[in-house]
Amino acid sequence: MNTGPRARRCADVGEVVPELALGILTGRARSDALAHVEQCTRCTEELEQLSRAADAVVQVAPEVEPPLGFEVRLFGRMGVSGPATRRLHPRRVLAVLAAAAAVVALGVGLGVGLSGGPGPTTSAPAPHHPGPLVSVADLSEHGEHVGQVFTYGGPTPWVFMTLSDSAARGRVTCEVVTTGGAVRTVGTFVARSGYGAWGAPLPVAPQDVRVAEVVASDGSVVARARLG
Amino acid sequence: MGESPVAEVGPTDEALLAGMALGDHGAAVVFVRRYQRRVFGLAFSMTNDAMVSEDVAQEALLRVWRHAPVFDARKGSVTSWVLTITRNLTIDALRMRRAVPTDPDDFAAAAAISLEHDPEDSVRRGDARHLVQSALVTLPPEQQRAVVLAAVYGRTALEISETEGIPLGTAKSRIRSGLLRLRAAVEGLRGVEEER
Repeated sequence: MNTGPRARRCADVGEVVPELALGILTGRARSDALAHVEQCTRCTEELEQLSRAADAVVQVAPEVEPPLGFEVRLFGRMGVSGPATRRLHPRRVLAVLAAAAAVVALGVGLGVGLSGGPGPTTSAPAPHHPGPLVSVADLSEHGEHVGQVFTYGGPTPWVFMTLSDSAARGRVTCEVVTTGGAVRTVGTFVARSGYGAWGAPLPVAPQDVRVAEVVASDGSVVARARLG
Repeated sequence: MGESPVAEVGPTDEALLAGMALGDHGAAVVFVRRYQRRVFGLAFSMTNDAMVSEDVAQEALLRVWRHAPVFDARKGSVTSWVLTITRNLTIDALRMRRAVPTDPDDFAAAAAISLEHDPEDSVRRGDARHLVQSALVTLPPEQQRAVVLAAVYGRTALEISETEGIPLGTAKSRIRSGLLRLRAAVEGLRGVEEER
């Protein structure tokens, strides 16, 4: 067994290699460790392996659909001639739904909505595996597209809503109008600077929802989606 | 390590970056559409703020576009490069705005949501992301927290010891033990890939 100075040095440096790999070792400790690693094949390999593990941690963050208009704004800054607007391609619908389902499930565990505001005011648990998608509709505000509404069926009908760059501020209410004309309040949520995402159980069958509305605290309708 | 499944469809990430380095707008459009959800998702997981996350995600992808010519594949994967840029910009944004980052437990919980049930299936398909998710969520909670604080939020062992109220040696030990366990998952996958 090698217990010479070099092996002892490897053992010493090995204690801090994880911090070196994570990029959180600083000052003299960092420069000393790097000086040894550069001359030691074994420690170099150790550092490479731990660096791959450290890099992998940020890669586990879930994918989240950026706000609408993200691409247009980005391509404008890049000077890239991308499409002026984007329609919701079926794959994008799936991506939005995946993000929506993740946020809905996250909202239960974390008690937050996408905007960082409070989650649903209702206390019913969100389904971790939402039922089948029943409808998707655009939320409009004075003719401008400001978000989307998704309704799900299954044992626990569910509605999910996203708002992006809308006029909604502060606490707003989600209401649905049924095909029979009944207005039902689904819950309230907080829109921050016009952005927000939120989900809650539907008090009516999703097939019966004709209109979904975002209503401000003064009773005015901020945005509306026609689902039926 | 392997890229996510989306990277296996169409041109490789490296090919797109090479095109972007030459000013190919088409390559940039494909690249942005491939990565925008991961970039925005990482920033959002760290901040829980859609506006900050959009600013960060835009800046990160803009930097990738501008610095595509200097990307060096020998130093790591495109995914790692893009997400490291995003992580660093998010840390800067949190500091500048003196904003409160998400709790590291919430970051791990978000990662667990899309976790697959069968890690062995992830190995067979070479899906490193799910394998690391699995390894991360099965770490003892104190190790998971220490690793996320260090790897995602860039906190030093001393900072972790102070914020967690634990001795410095304990903070170092948690970081080390957690990262060694994650290494076992990542290197196990590499071993499977090399056997193919």
